[in-house]
Amino acid sequence: ESENEYYLELTENPVQFENASSVNNVFFDEANKQVFAVRSGGATGVVVKGPDDKSSVAFRMEDKGEVKCIKFSLGNKILALCYCIYDKLSISKEDTQCCECRNTKYTKNASVLGFCWTNWNEIVFVTDQGIEFYQVLHDKRTLKMLKSQSINVNWYIYCPEPAVLLLSTTVQGNVLQPFAFKNGTMSKMPKFEIELPMVPKPAKLNLSERDIAVATIYGQLYVVYLKHHSRTTNSSGAEVVLYHLPREGSCKKTHVLKLNTTGKFALNVVDNLVVVHHQSSQTSIIFDIKLKEPDCAVNVHQPVLPARSIHPYKIPLTGFPALLWCFSLNTHLDSSTWSVFQPDIIISASEGYLWYLQVKLQPTVNLLQDKGKLMEFLLRRRDCKMVILSVCSQMLVGGDDKGNLPVVATVFDKLNRVYKEYLEAEQAYSVAMESGSSRFSNSYKRPIRTQAVIDQSDMYTHVLSEFTEKKDVSHKFIIAVLMEYIRSLNQFQITVQHYLYELVIKTLVQHNLFYMLHQFLQYHVLSDSKPLACLLLSLESTYPPAHQLSLDMLKRLSTANDEIVEVLLSKQQVLGALRFVRSVGGHDNVSARKFLDAARQTNDAMLFYTIFRFFEQRNLRLRANPAFNPGEHCEEHVAYFKEVFGEQSLMKPATI
Amino acid sequence: MAADVHNKGGATWDTAKGGLAAVERMRSDRSDSPTPGLVEGTEPGAGQEHTMFVHAQSFEDLTADSESNPDAELTGNRRSAVGDSEEVQEGQGVELQGGSTGNEAGEQKQWAGQQRGLRPAREEDVTGEAWRAHRKHVFVLSEAGKPIYTRYGTEEALSTIMGVMMALVSFVEAEKNIIRSIHADGYRVVFLHKSPLVLVGVSRSSQSERELSRELQYVYYQIVSLLTLTQLDHVFRHKQNYDLRRLLAGSEHLTDNLLRMLEYDPGLLLNAVTSLPLASVARDALSAGLQVARAKSLVFSILLAGSRLVTLVRKKDQYLHHMDLHLLFNLVGSSSSFREGEGWTPICLPKFNTAGFFHAHISYLEPASNLCLILVSTDREDFFNLSDCRRRFLERLRRRSAYKALQEALHSPTYPVSQVGIPELWHFVYKSKSSGLYTSPELPVPYQGEEEHERLIRLYRYLHSCLHHPTRPLRSMYRSGNTENLFAWATSGFELYLCFSPLGTKALAMSAVTKLLKWIRKEEDRLFILNPLTY
Amino acid sequence: MISPRMASGMQEKQYTPSLLSFFIYNPKFGPREGEEEKKILFYHPSEVEKNEKIRNVGLCEAIVQFTRTFCPRKPAKSLHTQKNRQFFLEPEENFWMVMVVRNPMIEKPNKDGKPPTVEYQEEELLDSVYGAVLQQCYSMYKIFNSTFNRAVETGGVELLIQKLEKFFYRYLQTIHLQSCDLLDVFGGISFLPLDKMTYLKIQSFVNKVEENLSLVKYTAFLYNDQLIWSGLEQDDMRILYKYLTTSLFPRHSEPELAGRDSPLRPEVMGNLLHYGRFLTGPATLKDPDAKFRFPKIFVNTEDRSEELHLIVYKAMSAAVCFMINASVELTREFCEQMDALVGPQLTLLASDICEQYNINRRISGPEKEPQFKFIYFNHMNLAEKSTIHMRKTAGASLSSVHPDLMKILGDINCDFARVDEDEEIIVKAMTDYWVVGKKSDQRELYVILNQKNANLIEVNDEVKRLCSTQFNNIFFLD
Repeated sequence: ESENEYYLELTENPVQFENASSVNNVFFDEANKQVFAVRSGGATGVVVKGPDDKSSVAFRMEDKGEVKCIKFSLGNKILALCYCIYDKLSISKEDTQCCECRNTKYTKNASVLGFCWTNWNEIVFVTDQGIEFYQVLHDKRTLKMLKSQSINVNWYIYCPEPAVLLLSTTVQGNVLQPFAFKNGTMSKMPKFEIELPMVPKPAKLNLSERDIAVATIYGQLYVVYLKHHSRTTNSSGAEVVLYHLPREGSCKKTHVLKLNTTGKFALNVVDNLVVVHHQSSQTSIIFDIKLKEPDCAVNVHQPVLPARSIHPYKIPLTGFPALLWCFSLNTHLDSSTWSVFQPDIIISASEGYLWYLQVKLQPTVNLLQDKGKLMEFLLRRRDCKMVILSVCSQMLVGGDDKGNLPVVATVFDKLNRVYKEYLEAEQAYSVAMESGSSRFSNSYKRPIRTQAVIDQSDMYTHVLSEFTEKKDVSHKFIIAVLMEYIRSLNQFQITVQHYLYELVIKTLVQHNLFYMLHQFLQYHVLSDSKPLACLLLSLESTYPPAHQLSLDMLKRLSTANDEIVEVLLSKQQVLGALRFVRSVGGHDNVSARKFLDAARQTNDAMLFYTIFRFFEQRNLRLRANPAFNPGEHCEEHVAYFKEVFGEQSLMKPATI
Repeated sequence: MAADVHNKGGATWDTAKGGLAAVERMRSDRSDSPTPGLVEGTEPGAGQEHTMFVHAQSFEDLTADSESNPDAELTGNRRSAVGDSEEVQEGQGVELQGGSTGNEAGEQKQWAGQQRGLRPAREEDVTGEAWRAHRKHVFVLSEAGKPIYTRYGTEEALSTIMGVMMALVSFVEAEKNIIRSIHADGYRVVFLHKSPLVLVGVSRSSQSERELSRELQYVYYQIVSLLTLTQLDHVFRHKQNYDLRRLLAGSEHLTDNLLRMLEYDPGLLLNAVTSLPLASVARDALSAGLQVARAKSLVFSILLAGSRLVTLVRKKDQYLHHMDLHLLFNLVGSSSSFREGEGWTPICLPKFNTAGFFHAHISYLEPASNLCLILVSTDREDFFNLSDCRRRFLERLRRRSAYKALQEALHSPTYPVSQVGIPELWHFVYKSKSSGLYTSPELPVPYQGEEEHERLIRLYRYLHSCLHHPTRPLRSMYRSGNTENLFAWATSGFELYLCFSPLGTKALAMSAVTKLLKWIRKEEDRLFILNPLTY
Repeated sequence: MISPRMASGMQEKQYTPSLLSFFIYNPKFGPREGEEEKKILFYHPSEVEKNEKIRNVGLCEAIVQFTRTFCPRKPAKSLHTQKNRQFFLEPEENFWMVMVVRNPMIEKPNKDGKPPTVEYQEEELLDSVYGAVLQQCYSMYKIFNSTFNRAVETGGVELLIQKLEKFFYRYLQTIHLQSCDLLDVFGGISFLPLDKMTYLKIQSFVNKVEENLSLVKYTAFLYNDQLIWSGLEQDDMRILYKYLTTSLFPRHSEPELAGRDSPLRPEVMGNLLHYGRFLTGPATLKDPDAKFRFPKIFVNTEDRSEELHLIVYKAMSAAVCFMINASVELTREFCEQMDALVGPQLTLLASDICEQYNINRRISGPEKEPQFKFIYFNHMNLAEKSTIHMRKTAGASLSSVHPDLMKILGDINCDFARVDEDEEIIVKAMTDYWVVGKKSDQRELYVILNQKNANLIEVNDEVKRLCSTQFNNIFFLD
């Protein structure tokens, strides 16, 4: 598989920590995404590495035996530890002076499975017999019980965002009981059952913690169940089953992801994609639950792309020449040193690395042939813009091989749908702002513009402008594409920017397709605007009818009367200009000088006489005197008139 | 010199006949258009009792010839004076045989006398651009294809072209058909076959075919007025390829001048004449003066101020046709010789009678002024009687106050349009149909150049031909262009042509018409001749 | 042809103008004495006696030659005589086309058995109209046969003579001289008013087809005999449009109306059925031995002359012309491919347009105001609109106003043609109809108002109203 086919990769700069060893235990806290390296039980120090350097801490604590679990509360306020040997918990503030508090309440023979912080000072303990919800009063250094619930627990999963705790109950362990935590309250959510491939006789724990994950996909919380292949049920292979866990209401099975193979798997969720790693093939596949499969039931999904390995990662080994070390996660799935955490974390304890898993979009372009599907896929990804644009350019340069145009059309439509949705949101928002009533203004928040919003200027600058420059593409196709884009915009009632029209015109003019241009304008495909009208005017020398077209446009704009006058004057149509001004009732305010100048330039005595007389009469009408005001600066014209037609031809007030 | 000029058989009785003919025509030609509105004879400028002219010289009447049925056309016999011209021909025939050389010599002397270098140098390269570029060519040729007249260049140089013209005419006529015109981009060629002459006009202006052939008729009658049709027919009957220029030599300038008149005088277009603005009292006094100064053979006494009619007195029941009057104007206008003293010249008034000659006594009342008196008589021996009439008229006139008024009027023979008081109104022509007179102000400044002047007349001509279209005439026409707005309106009583600023509005045009008609009514006794007299 | 009418109590016969003769000659082909016959390439009516043919051609030559003395570059265009008019056209150097039209005439029977007197109405024919008709004859020949010269180059004079025979024999029967009018002068194209979105759909349809069937070089799209899109250049489209709307479509409309004609039963393509069918080429694809021959047309004859197959494909009221380089052999496969591709899409589009079309109709309200009728023409894009003319039937387009009014329009048009400047003319006819002509920057509008006692101002307002309702989207100088 060639370099550009890896569509999954690990972050360039992983979090590094001291690798696990006999003296150094490594823990990971999904809530804070912190790695704890506890050397000899903390006596020789605890180093905490977070996703960023700010959150990394180092401290010592006395060795009280093997640590079972260690986590900071949110914001590194309080550290909680849990030791294995004797069921003792110790809570300590970050100043390492420690207080052990033996919790009296819970039953002797209950064994602690673990705990999780739901807030900076709230903690839940999970034992095999139930959960207890405490508030830490750390000045008193005591715990205050908030709530408790006794229930048989096989194992638990905690999803920090949104703080939901999932308990595996019953013998088979496939009945899951979720709890939701919200500042100081603990609420029990309706429990639900995971359908197992087969029920073992006699009943025994049958749903392993490893096969369940909780993740937020497209803003919804899902319980992700890795359903292994079973010989009895003739299923094509293992599946991933998604149970939707709504805030209110009960959990429902919503999606089935077909893995089409068997073996050992691991899950991640990256950029709202479900990533499934397959051990034996050393490859991974991704699913997009929003990608509808046309030819099968709504909620069954196939992998978006063919299976591929994660891009090999190069670990620099100090002292040795850097060697490419192919990271193949899946081989290590079983070994405890390689572990996968939600949503997108992969840790190699033995090597002391923490990576984030990422989706590379560029490779998907070649792997997903169906451009429409590809677009839908890309439009939902985080950093999609440049990729989408490159896809567009590529698709166009792909040139006029048959049947390309319909594809182009669908792609444009998909882009513009998203674009339109954003515009509408924007619009609704600004409307709400204007209506200003406070209850709106806070309920509405400004719509965020995702990268998926590809507007006209994006298309213009990154795709169309250079595309139209392409020499090797037939102009027929270029124009077809431009018209498609304009068509699509119109279909979504998006006002087209004039620079697109200019592009069309430029292209048409380049190839002398004036008649085409004329027809487009005739049907107002290129909507009216002053800039466009001016552009047309500039074409007049090469294509005379452009003059008429631009005049029509100016007329339709109905705000361009001045421009019309200018155009007419520039064509020496002084009479026409004046008639027009009169038709729009502006003839009492226009500058006499302007028209007299124009008339003079035509060297048409007759015309000059006409115009001059007209203004003489205007003067007479407006101020009972045919003479011009000094303010009008018509002296030279008066002089000229006398010179040509004689003093006596000047209008006399007497004549009326 | 006059003596041998007019010893021709223009016998009185046949002019009388001609007169009768004219009267008949007058009745038959009254155009009774169904237009509502002003009843004919009551429009501003309408004469009081009887009018001076053969009536209702509607456009149709003049072109009637060319519309009429072909066979009559081809065989070339004329409506009027068929019968009477027979006898005349005998007489003339003899005359011609006898002293034909003398006659011609005489005529040549006479025309030459009038001409005296009036005609510009005519040598032109008839294949050159300059010659082609002329706005209007007019050619006259005989049915043998012999050149008789060309407006530009020399007949000799054009004999081949004229040959072709004749060929075309006869080729088409061979098919029992008549050639009318040829049309090409920017110009048209119009043919008019009035046996024994063929006239061809080539016009580059947008002038309509009909207008053009009408002008050709003017030229035709101009020639007839010099020779009478009878003589024309006679000449060619005896000598098919006779070179008519021998008879017309020296008269070309008359045709030249007529063609110029056609370019700028709306009168020829409207079949009307305009009069010198004059207080009616004074005019009536003048008319009375002419009425008194009569003689038994006198048919018409015409007093002209330049090309403007001051008054006209006529024999009872004898009507003068505009065209004939215009031919008289042309005769006077194109010859300086009459200023040298009392002229005495035979003239045929073809619309009156194509067969015979009248005899016109033409003189200027004073050397300086352009007051010209024309006395038309039927008697070729009458020179001295008429000279006496003139004297009597002058004596009486000098005693009258009217004379002074006349003198003043002569100083301002016209009026500015501003008198009407409509700023956007630049010019107009108003014709009273019943009196056959028209009035029109002096040209406004921008039209005073020859080019613009002719252009304006062309515009009027265009409107006129639209209004009088033979098959789809119009009541009115408004035309707004880049140089002026025009409005034309024809009722049974009058014809009105107005020229407005191109920035005038239609509403303005409407109100202007009403205002103008009021004004003309107010001024009519000054602008028109309301009380024409007869002897 | 003959419409009797009562006048002055007596029965008159009125004869409409008719084609006396039509001939094409080239003086260079028979320069020497006695060879004159060689000049004549086509002569209708053919039965005319040889010497008369020669004589008439001679006259034309003489006329042309004669007028050159007054303007060498602009020879005669027409000859008026009492009985007829002759129109001259030199479409290619030394090739002359002449059309002789007899003036309309009235036959007045005479009392006591004298032969009836015939009166020719010399002012009835408008040069501009029949000049245009003659020009059309040439253009129509050219689009189906290319130029005269090309025929001579390829097959000598003989070929040209054959082509002329073949073409004009049929064509001359289709021209209806008595119903020619201003519209023939314009030779305009009526465009279908359409909303932007539907238009764009059509655009994208055309583009997709052209991309898919790369053989297709040009496409034209019409609906209800009105043009929506033309890939051809204006001048070629103009004449093709004339052919489609006055010849091809009318020939096919009848069966459609009649409801028989198999193609009207929808073809079932995959899951949707369509009404597509070929108007040129095979009547139906089902016919196993259908011929796949299509008419050929010649475009861009001025520069690189192109020869093209003309495929006209129609679904309901939507018709598309596909033009394909003639050098390509068109196969059944191709036609089936096209049928399959175009049929369904076009059917859908057609119903889309129909919907839009009806909406527009509703908006614009009742078809035309009884108060006025008008003709609009734009020289820039040849757009033409007439509420005077009924829907074009084969050949003739019937006008709904009195012929004299139409002629007044013609007169006004001639006046406009004379000078290239904006102009307005308002006349009141003797029948008290008002006729208004407006010319503004290459646009011409003619209105006939039937408001007998309106005055100039009211008429002007009426026209203003018309402009603001019908033409508010274009710039009309007031």
